[in-house]
Amino acid sequence: MRRVGSWAAVAAVAAALVSFPYWTAAWESSRYATTVLRDMLVFATFALSLNLLVGYAGMPSLGHAAYFGAGAYAAGIAGQRLATDQLHVTMGAAVLVAGVLALLIGALVVRSSGIFFLMLTLAFAQMVFAIAFQWTEVTGGSNGFPGVRRPSIGELDLSAPDRVFMLVATVFLLVTWLLWRISRSTYGRALIGVRENERRMRALGYDTTRLRLSAFVLAGALAGVAGALAAYSARFVSPSDAGIGTSVTAFVMVLIGGAGTLLGPILGAGIVLYIERVLSSSIPYAQTVLGLLFIGFVLLARQGIIGLARRALALATR
Amino acid sequence: MGGSSGGAALEVRDLRREFGGIKALDGVTFAVGPGERRGVIGPNGAGKTTLFNVLTGEVRPTGGSVRLRGEDVTGRPTWQLARRGLARMYQRNELFEPLETRANVALAIGARRGPYRPLTAAPAVELEAADLLLGQVGLAGRERTPARSLSHGERRQLELAVALAASPQVLLLDEPTAGMSPAETARIADLIASLDRTLTILIVEHDVDVVFRLADRISVLHEGRVIADGTAEEIRGDVRVNEVYLGKAVRA
Repeated sequence: MRRVGSWAAVAAVAAALVSFPYWTAAWESSRYATTVLRDMLVFATFALSLNLLVGYAGMPSLGHAAYFGAGAYAAGIAGQRLATDQLHVTMGAAVLVAGVLALLIGALVVRSSGIFFLMLTLAFAQMVFAIAFQWTEVTGGSNGFPGVRRPSIGELDLSAPDRVFMLVATVFLLVTWLLWRISRSTYGRALIGVRENERRMRALGYDTTRLRLSAFVLAGALAGVAGALAAYSARFVSPSDAGIGTSVTAFVMVLIGGAGTLLGPILGAGIVLYIERVLSSSIPYAQTVLGLLFIGFVLLARQGIIGLARRALALATR
Repeated sequence: MGGSSGGAALEVRDLRREFGGIKALDGVTFAVGPGERRGVIGPNGAGKTTLFNVLTGEVRPTGGSVRLRGEDVTGRPTWQLARRGLARMYQRNELFEPLETRANVALAIGARRGPYRPLTAAPAVELEAADLLLGQVGLAGRERTPARSLSHGERRQLELAVALAASPQVLLLDEPTAGMSPAETARIADLIASLDRTLTILIVEHDVDVVFRLADRISVLHEGRVIADGTAEEIRGDVRVNEVYLGKAVRA
């Protein structure tokens, strides 16, 4: 019964999320709230993909925006070059390009770990950024790539803002569900095993290099999905989408929320975007607030908000 | 079978490993038959740990060969050796610290099946098998305890359970009783003695009483070479072994 109840609760929350633009339509700020929430969900999807690496497999990538950016450009460029707005084509291109890019870079970096892994992922992401910045004929170079076509599924046109929101919310929920299943699966357990003790995993017969590579490619492909959503949302791709700033933002989201948890990156994305978008218009130094918050979590609460909540819960129930 | 391997479970020939100018292994040769329990003793720095690291593929030999159940596996990566039936109990526990003891063992059991099932949880039979194994090593009732919360003795028991969980044919035990109380030592020695006799065991141990009790034959390593090889009686009576190791061990 409890299972049925919690499923019903999840379904209710999911339905409320997807239909947000409709039940808030009467609000004065509905349009604005929908836009902010949409971008939160895009970044939550991106942060979730990074969390698979940082939180589960123990691979702190500082270049995850490369795959986000690759997905965004791929969705935009595929729509333009193939003259289509079909979701399966542009989203498929995003997943394919981001996944293949992650496979190529991953093959070179997954054998390293710790600070070397951090630096190598950053270096390769800077190369991707440089390509986006300089390959003007294809990417638009420093001007960015304007006029990304919003998608359709068959005859169903998703270009209206409310429908883009519904698409973003649905994809976000699917990615969350996928990562929830992975976190409980034998595959997710094996990634945690690699994070906790790679030597023992090898001694047990796991090809840990392949495991790490598989996580890198999966996380890259999902970042590509988030990138496509970002491109649909903004109808524009900027080289900075593939830049270090975007990588760091996602990393901060994961750490503030709580690495290695499912809800953490989602909360982290919500908080960071709230500070950047909403708070910054009402208080000065919003970025400083964000920086201090980040330092505070790194120094005092490594497990992020989810870790704090768990500790509070443990104290309360003791 | 056939040829020189003669059906040995584990055979090393002229195994060499140098670190800088130091010969950690200087031509080690021995063969362990199926089901045999072989003790490896020797003073500190004799090359015991290097030998184990080479056998598990964690350190590449600079020369010589390793055959596992007749197959030349020299230089193969660790995970492939594990797939071929080799398991190791580490001297310093290599556990998944935040995970429950049962999850530690289940990861070892699941290795045979492979990890690429992103949507399915660990089968219930594997968790049951993990709990059963935990009971065998004396950790019944501790199934849901994180590895890091166990006592030192319990951690050694879990380390053994993880090594056994992969159902190995050849088991390397690196100082199984290290840091244990006499009572814990006796318990884990009983446990090792009770393991299936088809299992081939190589055991490095400083507690010579434990080695003499468990091993069918003993190889004595000294300065990277096997200086004696024989039954417990033969080793006890060996003048050279007493000179470099046992004599000192008794006096110490």
